[in-house]
Amino acid sequence: MNRIQNFKNGLIKDNPVFSLFLGICSTLAITTSVNNAIGMGVSVIIVLTVSNVLISMIRKITPDEIRIPVYIVIIATLVTIIQMLIQAFAPALNESLGVFIPLIVVNCIILGRAESFASKNNIFDSALDGIGMGLGYTLAVLAMSLIREILSTGGILITNPFNTAQVLLDLTLFPEDFTISLFGSPVGAFITFACLASLVGAYKVHLEAKENAKEK
Amino acid sequence: MKKVIHLTLFLAIVSVLAGGALAFFNEITEPVIAKNNEEQERQSLLEMYPEADPDQFVSVDTSELESTTINKIYQYDDVYIFNMSVAGYKDGTTFLVSINADDLTIDKFVAISNGDTSGLGTQVLEDPFKESLEGNPADGQLDTISGATVSSQPVVDGIHEAASVVEQLD
Repeated sequence: MNRIQNFKNGLIKDNPVFSLFLGICSTLAITTSVNNAIGMGVSVIIVLTVSNVLISMIRKITPDEIRIPVYIVIIATLVTIIQMLIQAFAPALNESLGVFIPLIVVNCIILGRAESFASKNNIFDSALDGIGMGLGYTLAVLAMSLIREILSTGGILITNPFNTAQVLLDLTLFPEDFTISLFGSPVGAFITFACLASLVGAYKVHLEAKENAKEK
Repeated sequence: MKKVIHLTLFLAIVSVLAGGALAFFNEITEPVIAKNNEEQERQSLLEMYPEADPDQFVSVDTSELESTTINKIYQYDDVYIFNMSVAGYKDGTTFLVSINADDLTIDKFVAISNGDTSGLGTQVLEDPFKESLEGNPADGQLDTISGATVSSQPVVDGIHEAASVVEQLD
């Protein structure tokens, strides 16, 4: 039960982006299109899960004084490997994510989970936490990019990350004359972020009130 | 002292393992990345001149050029095609520009990749920028993109450099 709860917490209640406010920089930057969000989300899930597992594996032998440098070496190595694999096998995705893949290294979600969870829990729980938090991040960037892409372009365009010429989904919801280009810019990112974060905040308050009522 | 040695050794071992993993993956991905880039360049050259046969692009020796931005030069009919990589915010831009040897006008411009901010710096990949360059003198005044000057100015500087190289080659 506790494990399932831990896993579920990352999705909404302790969502890394909207609730813990970690990794906002990349969230604001890459959410211009759903395509980017999927690519970034998958990359973060992989890095977060593998880094959590590795850090949990060596948690008993890692000296406390140098744990942060050790975590950073592990995370940076994983991110570089992912970047090389994306460059080789999904060049189109590499083009759209560009600068943001190396930024995963300094994404606070990964170091945050390594320090606060993986270094204190067993491998299985750490992997679950990684997947849960990674999915939470992916959900957050997907929600933001859906809103931003639809409002700024009037539709959704999803292409195959391995071949940009292959369009998987091309949906037009309203004509170009009614689009709000503001949502494609950083200002739109902040507005979308603020609205979604306040919604999650309101949901958390509602949950707490419910729990309190139960206790009474 | 013993503690310091222990810490140093631990960090060194972690770094060596990380280095080994990176070398292993680099070995696997490097040839694929090189092949991808080559294929992309061939596609871009054909995109510039669809009527050309790939064999008509003659590679020009660049070993004597002291340039950090020019990757390759090809000659096709009376134009020189430059493959250049210029700095931007991060990875900068890789592009192809063809310059007429006779009057130094820009014949065609194709941006291959840009590692800068999506939606800002990446505007150098888009048609309006391409259209603002083509047909204009490569050694004259060229427009940059307002709001993305850091990404587009190096491209313009690169084209100016290419123009001076064309003058030397001719």
